[in-house]
Amino acid sequence: MRISAAQVAARVLEALEKGERIHTAVVVDAPDRSLIGRRWWLSGRRTRGTLGSPALDEAVAAAVPSLFPPRESRGALSRDFEYSEGGSTVTARVYLELHGPPARMVIVGAGHIAIPLARMGAMLGMRVEVLDDRPEFAAALRFPDAAAVRVIDFRDPFAATPLGPWDHVILVTRGHSFDYECLVRLLRMEAPPGYVGMIGSRRRVRATHEQLAREGFTTADMNRVRAPVGLDLGGQTPAEIAVAVVAEIILFHAGGTGAPLVEKERVVERFFGGATGRRAVAARGGRSADVRGTGTQTNGD
Amino acid sequence: MDEKELMARLAGLEEPAVLATIVSAKGSTPRKTGARMLIGREGVLAGTVGGGCGEGEVIAAAQGLFEGGPPATVRVDLTDDFTSWSPAVCGGIMNVFIERANPERFGGG
Repeated sequence: MRISAAQVAARVLEALEKGERIHTAVVVDAPDRSLIGRRWWLSGRRTRGTLGSPALDEAVAAAVPSLFPPRESRGALSRDFEYSEGGSTVTARVYLELHGPPARMVIVGAGHIAIPLARMGAMLGMRVEVLDDRPEFAAALRFPDAAAVRVIDFRDPFAATPLGPWDHVILVTRGHSFDYECLVRLLRMEAPPGYVGMIGSRRRVRATHEQLAREGFTTADMNRVRAPVGLDLGGQTPAEIAVAVVAEIILFHAGGTGAPLVEKERVVERFFGGATGRRAVAARGGRSADVRGTGTQTNGD
Repeated sequence: MDEKELMARLAGLEEPAVLATIVSAKGSTPRKTGARMLIGREGVLAGTVGGGCGEGEVIAAAQGLFEGGPPATVRVDLTDDFTSWSPAVCGGIMNVFIERANPERFGGG
């Protein structure tokens, strides 16, 4: 059956409304031109439409899990798929999209770090949820950007917050016994959150890990937790610490190095000969060594 | 217009429209893979695939689909676009797939 882009869009909106993941596909190039524009979607075990060949539908469905990692909530890419048609192997180019519920940031501990963290999580487009056992802290008024603020019991902190691989959990509780209760739950989950971070001094992290070790958790388990959480930016204030945490989350998804771009790109050193660059450019242009002037002057030569 | 709004517009289209989607992009393109634009007979209805940078080519190609043309991939090469006055930084190549968004609204053809 032939389905249109408009029909697929309606189905995507319905899936997002229900918090379901949906993959869509459309043939953008194929030797058999009649396949171009054929569409198909897949959500859980439900599927509708066809790319024009059952063998191609099957090849694409099989590739979907590896093309879109479970922690991602959005994706768009094109790939060539080989499939057999009438005894020979043919290749079709298919464009695929993933639409899923937005990534979530679950902040455990509604203290002073949680406030900038919640704002920044929302700025990154995440659904932010804040949990604490103190109603005066876990108050919606303190977190205008949060989608949910919950008063919890640390004996079962995630009872009302089912977690999955696309979630980011950040532990900023007021004590390591609370961190510990959370970590035990998180580490025992069948499908743990993709990102688990815990704030704390070296001493506090160590105390929590010692308790985990006594409970039989391995170092491999401990290594699944980013503790202390965040990049080493040297900041001290709650907002600065929150920047360090969200920077690590961006790094986690985008796969950068975390190093300053100036060190990575070394533009001056590579293109202007390092420390002598100013003089070299000036000599070539035969003009002033003034940095502000050199660029335009040499361009004009 | 964010992605969800564009999706809602696409789902609720009443007039015939062409959907343009960046299906792959290389280098410095103003919009990335997945960006979308809806084009009507009179011009752009919603969204963008990059504004000044090559968007005109896509809009022109879309007109062919209102006249019964088949879905196609428009290759937009921005690497020679040094003369562009667009504030967007251009310098990549993108493939934009154009197709009838709602064939049932196109009547006869």
